[in-house]
Amino acid sequence: MKVLDESYKGVSEGTLVPLNELGLPAPTTGGLLIVFWKGQ
Amino acid sequence: MVYVGPFETKESCQSWKDEYELPFPVISDEDGAIFKQLSNGWVPYTILVGPDGKVQLWESEFDEAGFAAAVEKLYREPAEAQPEPEPAARLAPQPAGRAGAATIVILGGGAGGLVAAYHLRRRFSGKHRIVLVDRSPDHLFQSSLLWHMVGQRRADQIRRPLSDLTRRGIEFINDEVVEIDLANKLVKTHSEKIDFDYLIVSLGAQLVPETVEGFDEMALNLYDPKGAGMINAALESFSGGRVGVLVTSMPFKCPAAPYEAALLVDSFLRKKGVRNKSEIHVYTPEHQPMPVAGPVMGEAITKVLGKRDIRYHPLFTFEKMQPGTHTIIPSGGEPEKVDLLIAVPPHQAPDVVRSSGLIGASGWIPVDKHTLRTEHEGVYAIGDVNSVRLANGKTLPMAGVFAHYEAKVVAEQIATELQGQRSDAAFSGKGYCWLELGGGKAGFAGGNFYNEPEPSVRLYPPMRFWHWGKVLFEKWWLRHWF
Ligand SMILES: Cc1cc2nc3c(=O)[nH]c(=O)nc-3n(C[C@H](O)[C@H](O)[C@H](O)COP(=O)(O)OP(=O)(O)OC[C@H]3O[C@@H](n4cnc5c(N)ncnc54)[C@H](O)[C@@H]3O)c2cc1C
Repeated sequence: MKVLDESYKGVSEGTLVPLNELGLPAPTTGGLLIVFWKGQ
Repeated sequence: MVYVGPFETKESCQSWKDEYELPFPVISDEDGAIFKQLSNGWVPYTILVGPDGKVQLWESEFDEAGFAAAVEKLYREPAEAQPEPEPAARLAPQPAGRAGAATIVILGGGAGGLVAAYHLRRRFSGKHRIVLVDRSPDHLFQSSLLWHMVGQRRADQIRRPLSDLTRRGIEFINDEVVEIDLANKLVKTHSEKIDFDYLIVSLGAQLVPETVEGFDEMALNLYDPKGAGMINAALESFSGGRVGVLVTSMPFKCPAAPYEAALLVDSFLRKKGVRNKSEIHVYTPEHQPMPVAGPVMGEAITKVLGKRDIRYHPLFTFEKMQPGTHTIIPSGGEPEKVDLLIAVPPHQAPDVVRSSGLIGASGWIPVDKHTLRTEHEGVYAIGDVNSVRLANGKTLPMAGVFAHYEAKVVAEQIATELQGQRSDAAFSGKGYCWLELGGGKAGFAGGNFYNEPEPSVRLYPPMRFWHWGKVLFEKWWLRHWF
């Protein structure tokens, strides 16, 4: 695990995620898992 | 599932997707706008969004428990009421706080040993010695042997050098443990003697195919990297015939693995275009798949096998192999001819454990089911090598997920005790696993194995989502601890 910027607030349960605005796909069956990951 | 690469270019995301063969989109978030809006600044950072666009779960440490919690929410079913683990107060008092630096020796760098070393090191910055001993230079992510078997992973993709742990301040001794001297609190390897204050035994189960006559000539070992590679080569050149997946004896680790193997072989042969010229049979002494998880789970898996035309032979009490006639013979039953035999060999506690005085009547190390303490002070046993009796009289299955959570609990207890306090960390009996079905799909099962009178375990319907979860978990595991 590594921290890129600790000042970000993150989301909490129930936060509405504007998927379209962010260019992320909408959930199909069940849900959408979004994973932030750095290759290196 | 979607991966987002914060501050990554399109090209770097694409090359990363190619390198890891990720089967889902990898989106570049070049200016970090998405990351800024949704994350807490850490990577990895995972968010599960429900069908209504609302966050169901977020977490910075990816693990199976998080997945299970998310699923409970997604399915909008209240979690069953589970008994809380018994309070640590009922446990025998332990000596608190030792003066000076302690040496904590961890035997085995598999699932349990690795997690224990990591969590212990996180708790103290160098004050106490953490020594991990393994005869293998590498940690092996054993679940991925199933993908290796069907050519979806190379052997080097599912290992990590244990010597990398030294960067974290964990001493690594690459040698075989030959004696555990409990009276003198000493461990011997071929070349070293190591005194310990605390000992965590996580040596896993020893595979003993040599106890089955004809195994070497006739069977390919599903539970061993070399064997899994040989299965892959045999499948590549397979042009049709009878494939047998055989469980030689009980207990064996990962109760789902033989069924997953049969399903993956089915997918492989379909893709190759020879499934119509082949039969797949599963032979096992169990009366149903994953008996500890109850009849509903058993029926569900049997149904999946049936749908894929995989013939199931429960209560097959294997007796011997006859390489000359290519048959396997059950006690008191008819021989079965197989052209390609994929086998789970017998398991036993490692020799060094058996000669240590730690073994109980079960043939494994008895431990307190919440604290994982053995009856010897300062000595813990976690993972496959221990034996925990459940309320229904069966034993806790051997699985990486239990080794993982048990390791965390033991690390927490030792660390707290070394600070002179009493820990109430206790293993709850909860565990989860993916059930790989082939064709990019997986099921997911999870629940509480300490539930009384029976474990309460649910199987969630097969989806691509679970398969991707398993892929993600593998990537996470192979990076996180090193
Ligand atoms: C094909 C397959 C699929 C699986 N799939 C899953 C799954 O999907 N989910 C799941 O939860 N579990 C799964 N498992 C089971 C899981 O891998 C094991 O339960 C887990 O690894 C147990 O962890 P452990 O630390 O107890 O032992 P191990 O991980 O086996 O580690 C034991 C370590 O001890 C070392 N060792 C042994 N003897 C000595 C000695 N004398 N001296 C020095 N070192 C020694 C070994 O080299 C090894 O590194 C699977 C297993 C297999 C084989």
